[in-house]
Amino acid sequence: MIRHWIGPVIMGGVLGFFAWRTAMVATPDVLMGLAVQRVSAVGGINQFSHAPLATAASRTIVRPSPDLAYSSCPFDLTNGPLLIDAVPVPAPYWSLSIFDSHTNVALVRNGEKADDQPFKIAVVAPGQTAPTGYEAVHVDGTRGIALVRILIDLPARFPAIDQERRATTCRAG
Amino acid sequence: MRRWMRYLICGILGVLIGAGSAAWSIRIGALGSNQKIGAWTTGKDYGTAGASAYTRAVVALRGLLALPATEARYYNAAVDSTGRPLEGRCRYRVVGVGLPTKWWSLTLYDREGYLVANQPGLYSVGSAGLPSAEQAHWMVTVAPDQQPGHWLPTGRVARFELTLRAYLPDDRGKGNFTKEQLPVITREDCA
Repeated sequence: MIRHWIGPVIMGGVLGFFAWRTAMVATPDVLMGLAVQRVSAVGGINQFSHAPLATAASRTIVRPSPDLAYSSCPFDLTNGPLLIDAVPVPAPYWSLSIFDSHTNVALVRNGEKADDQPFKIAVVAPGQTAPTGYEAVHVDGTRGIALVRILIDLPARFPAIDQERRATTCRAG
Repeated sequence: MRRWMRYLICGILGVLIGAGSAAWSIRIGALGSNQKIGAWTTGKDYGTAGASAYTRAVVALRGLLALPATEARYYNAAVDSTGRPLEGRCRYRVVGVGLPTKWWSLTLYDREGYLVANQPGLYSVGSAGLPSAEQAHWMVTVAPDQQPGHWLPTGRVARFELTLRAYLPDDRGKGNFTKEQLPVITREDCA
């Protein structure tokens, strides 16, 4: 009797392993896709939205830092590269990071690395090229998020920095 | 029972158990579960292609858009220094030293990873806001009710977590902070 179940149990184990593996691999892509949807619902796709400092009411991104001003540009490269014109802000720390659809970081550039100078980035999908004057950053997939973090050391400085950070732009190329 | 029914039952059970166990392990996974140092857990391969599928999944759930170790290190504590879960009804003394990093901050989150509502709107304490006399040795009280000095309110949530962010570590993320460098979390009393 029990020998009738050996084959089915082995098959169940193999399917179980593949289901486990698939769930593990798919989770980051699914969560990133949801994050792109949530962020783009606030400010649109291929453009920056500038969030206020995080509070207990913030639910767009999990584990937000209340010390950082976040500006996020959810992107979709289906119709071409994303062009980012980054402009420094007078803060103790700021950075631009680009996350692809698998949650990998394709680029992190902070104020120190940029010598606090403006820079231009083209986020490109496979097969795309960067326009002249833009540094190409290659990503897997066509969707992701470009994120600017700015340290707000004193809350009173936030209104001024909130204005200055809007000089950084992203747009479909 | 027919043969095809046995295969169908085992196949369905296998898929359910496989997918369910993956979801369960991701859900209970702590941010940075790769290495445990005292009360703190951390990892170094966030946001990199070298991260394991499990690390990538847990980070996506608990700390999406986390930076790689060269830029920032994340240390997370869900327990105190004796291993007891952090409870919102209790008062804790968190004592730390200056960290070899450009700046750091200590933030309180609920188990879902969101900031906890509290009347004064206090969510974190960080090196950027500490007076110079406290940079080398600092203390924060984590408690439901107002405390003298630096206070992080728990909002009386059942369980909470503390996340220590260290931006631009001096070693560019090559090593971990030692147990002596990381803050000590001591439970004082509970309401």
